[in-house]
Amino acid sequence: MKLRSNNDNQHQLLELRHLTESTYVLRIDRRGLSFRSGQHILLGEAGSIHNREYSVYSGEKDDFFEVLIKEVDEGLVSKQLKKLKPGSTLQIEGPLGFFTIEPELVDSGKFLFVATGTGIAPFHSFVRSYPKIKYQLLHGVRKEEEAYERNAYPTEKYKLCTSQDEKGDFQGRVTDYLRQNPVSADTHCYLCGNFQMIHEVFDILEMQGVPPHQVHAEVYF
Amino acid sequence: MKKIAFKTLGCRLNQYETDALASRFHKGSYQIVNYNEPADIYIVNTCTVTNQSDQKSRQTIHQAHKVNEQGLMVVTGCMANNHKQSLLETPGIDYVVDNERKSSIFSIIESHFRGEHPDPEGFDEDLFSYEPAFKTFHTRSLIKIQDGCDNFCTFCIIPSVRGRAVSRPVNAILDNIREVLDHGFKEVVLTGVNIGRYSFEGTSFEQLVAKILELPGDFRLRISSIEPDGFTPHFFELFQHEKLAPHLHLCLQSGSEAILLKMRRMYTAREFRQLAEKLRYRYPDFNLTTDIIVGFPGETEKDFQESLQMAKDLRFSHIHTFKYSVRSGTRAERMDGHLLEKVKNQRSALVRKLSDENKLLYFEQMAGKPQRMLVERISADGIARGYGQSYIPLRTKIKGLERNQFLDVVPDSVYFGKETAMWTKDLRKTF
Repeated sequence: MKLRSNNDNQHQLLELRHLTESTYVLRIDRRGLSFRSGQHILLGEAGSIHNREYSVYSGEKDDFFEVLIKEVDEGLVSKQLKKLKPGSTLQIEGPLGFFTIEPELVDSGKFLFVATGTGIAPFHSFVRSYPKIKYQLLHGVRKEEEAYERNAYPTEKYKLCTSQDEKGDFQGRVTDYLRQNPVSADTHCYLCGNFQMIHEVFDILEMQGVPPHQVHAEVYF
Repeated sequence: MKKIAFKTLGCRLNQYETDALASRFHKGSYQIVNYNEPADIYIVNTCTVTNQSDQKSRQTIHQAHKVNEQGLMVVTGCMANNHKQSLLETPGIDYVVDNERKSSIFSIIESHFRGEHPDPEGFDEDLFSYEPAFKTFHTRSLIKIQDGCDNFCTFCIIPSVRGRAVSRPVNAILDNIREVLDHGFKEVVLTGVNIGRYSFEGTSFEQLVAKILELPGDFRLRISSIEPDGFTPHFFELFQHEKLAPHLHLCLQSGSEAILLKMRRMYTAREFRQLAEKLRYRYPDFNLTTDIIVGFPGETEKDFQESLQMAKDLRFSHIHTFKYSVRSGTRAERMDGHLLEKVKNQRSALVRKLSDENKLLYFEQMAGKPQRMLVERISADGIARGYGQSYIPLRTKIKGLERNQFLDVVPDSVYFGKETAMWTKDLRKTF
C-alpha cells in the first residue's frame, strides 16, 4: 500500500451531530478513500501533531466518513474535535486494522456483536454496509441516553444493556446478559469496547464452546 | 579509495539494509573497514524501539567522532525517522536519511563527494530497491520481503517510523534469493517488520514460503521472527520440508490475557499456547524462541507470573526480554499504571534466568540428535562455530573445515562460555 502524501490526507468536516452532551458524530468528506467496515482511522485537526484512533461509524458505500466520538474528561483530541465547525480541515491516516468480516461469511454467517459505549461504532458500520447480515447486537451502557442512534438497528436485533438505570432492554452488563443467554458454538463473535468487558467475554464465550478463531476483538481505552 | 564503516543497531531488517548498502559501496570501489577504525564515511543504521536503543544509537554516533572527527557521518534508520530534527541539530552529523530513502544513501554520498550538497529528502522514496547483499557481515543472507506494520500495538513506535505495511513483489524476492544462492549463500533468512502479514497480489506469506522452498539448490530457509496470528493449517505442513528450518521466533510479549488486550496484540494467550503446542505436537524438537516485554503499564505481579508460567510451559529456548519503555505518541504512553524501573529490572532478571534454564533444557533434549551445521566462523585455535537447522549455536574441533559449508554433526555436550553453545561430533564418525 502506498503512503499518502501530506496533501492527500486532508479532509473537510461536513457536519457535527451531537448525540448526548459528551458524545458526537463527525461527518467528514470521503475523497474516495476506501475502507472495510470495522477498520479505524487516525484522526486529528489538520496540522496538529496529535491524533487519535476512531473506528469508522459510516458504511462502506456512504459518500462520507463518520466517526463516533466521546469527549474524554482529561482528553485532548476529543475536546479539540468537538469545537470544530463545518468546513474545518481534518487529517486522516488509514484506514487501519483487521477487525473486519471475511466477505464470504457476510451472507452465510451468524454473528454476535458486543459493544460497550462508543464501541458500537464498527457495528453501526457493519450493519450499514451489509444490510442482510444476520446478527444480534448487545450494547452495554450506563444509561439509556447512551443508546446512540438505536433506530439504526431493528428492535429484535438490538439489546440495550444498562448498568445504571432500568430503562434498557436488560438491566445489567452485557456480560450478565451473555451468561444468561448463551450463543451457539457456530457464532462469529465481534467484541468492541473497554478491555475489561472483552476480557470477560472471551472467558464466557470459551465456556459456551465458541472456538477462539471465531472471536474477534477491538479494544478501546 | 575512500574508506567506509557501518554500524547496525536493532533488528534483522536493519542488518539486511546495512548488508545491502555495504554491497553497493563495495561494488562502487569503497573500502569497507571496521567501525572502530578511521574511515572517511560512517553510516549508522539506528534503532528507536526503546529508550535504550536511542541511547545506544547516540553513543554509536559519538564513538565514530572519537575515531575520526573529520569523517562524514550519515545517520539513518528508525531513529532518523523518530528524532529527525534533534539529529539534524546535533553537531557532527552530516546527513540524516529516513528509512524511506535509506536505499539512496550511496547516491547521496556520491553526490556529496562530487561537491554537491544533496538534500536527502530530494531523493525518491523506495523501500525495496537495495542491491543484492553479497558483501555481508553474515554467513546467512537476509532477504527483505516486506516493510512497515499496520498492527499499531499500543506500545510500539514502529508503525510511525517504518510506515504502513508494504510487501515486496514475489518475483523480486525469488530473483533476489536466486542471486544470493548463485553467489554461494546457503541459508536465507526472511526479514521484514511484520512478515506474517506479507501479501502481494493474492500471494500470502505461506504461499510465498512454499514458492521459495521450491527453488532448486542446496540451501535452507529460516523464517525467524514472526507474529503469532493468521496461520492456517498449511503453515504447519510447510515445516515438513527439509529446507525449512524448524525454528520460529514467535513474539509472545506477555502471557497475560489482560496485558495482551492492553497491548492490542492480535491474539490471545490461549491462542498462542494452542499454536505452540500444536507445533510441538507435530515436531517435538521444534525450537521456539520469543520476545517478552516486562513492566507494561498496569502489569500486576499476577500478570507477570502468567508470562513466566507460559514461558516455562512452552519451553522457549531463548527469551529476548525488553523492559517496557515509553515511546512518545503511542497509546500506551497515555495509559495509567506505569511501573517503576526497579520493578521492571527485577522482572527482567527473572525472565533472563528462566531463559537460561530453558536453553539448557532444550540443549539437553537435542543432545545426540543430528544437526546440519552451517559453519560461520573458524577461530585461530581451529574451533569452528555455526548454527544447526534448529538454531542451536554449535562448536566443533573437526579440522579442515571452511566457512559457509554445511556439516552434518551430532551435538553431544553443552559449552559454557561467553555464549552457551553445544559441542558436536562429526556425524560421519558416529556410525
